[in-house]
Amino acid sequence: MNNIDYINACCDLVELYKIRNFIELKALDYGLNSDAATKVALAVDEACTNLIEHAFKFDKNKTICIATEKIDKKMVVSIIDQSQPFNPLSVQKQNMEEYFREFKKGGLGIQLMRSVMDDIEYYPASSQNNQNVLKLIKNIE
Amino acid sequence: MNDTSKFGIIIKAEGNIAKLYLSGYLDAHTASELENALNQIIIDNKYYILVNFKNLDYISSAGLGVFMAFIEEIRDKNGDIKLCEMTSKVFQVFDLLGFPILFDILDTEDEAIQKFKNGDLKKNE
Repeated sequence: MNNIDYINACCDLVELYKIRNFIELKALDYGLNSDAATKVALAVDEACTNLIEHAFKFDKNKTICIATEKIDKKMVVSIIDQSQPFNPLSVQKQNMEEYFREFKKGGLGIQLMRSVMDDIEYYPASSQNNQNVLKLIKNIE
Repeated sequence: MNDTSKFGIIIKAEGNIAKLYLSGYLDAHTASELENALNQIIIDNKYYILVNFKNLDYISSAGLGVFMAFIEEIRDKNGDIKLCEMTSKVFQVFDLLGFPILFDILDTEDEAIQKFKNGDLKKNE
């Protein structure tokens, strides 16, 4: 049985600081080095920012739950929400040379999330379960 | 810097160069402060902009997005944004997304100032 730790955050960008601190502490606790802990916190920040801005449209009455657990040699962060499902993995990877050439805006958060995590899984809400779960997974080396 | 934002900007001028010193945490919550500061600099018709990251502890894509939002206009006006003195953790975020292709990222403020003085500016294609 794994220990699961979690925090709830309201959908306000001011909460990002608290969320990152929680993730970094848990990551260090699970044995990730400082660099990897910062990367996991960055990925979680990006995922929560997208939820707060796009899914919940800054509605401070709504909450998201961020849970962490250590499974074998992996840190697994689950970000759980009850908004309309949106799979970040459905967003195509950006070609950054094209991105810069055309001075594109936005879309960098998902790109960063992909580049710093070892694995990402998404489980949309269904008729049996009204919660979307995004799992961000980092190997503990 | 107050406790809720944990982000600060100090702006100094050196000749025609506007120098921004960032500190703390630059994320989606605080990015609008940087956006406002850059807007004000452009209103003042300053297009040589140096950003010193020495005391910045953290940046997310929202912070990078602010630089993306301004760079085209600034280079259209024959200016540039030069970035310097990043900690390795902050540099890594820029590097992961390939930002060194688009931006000059220098080790020291002196190198950045020298590039402005030499007219060594990156141009829009």
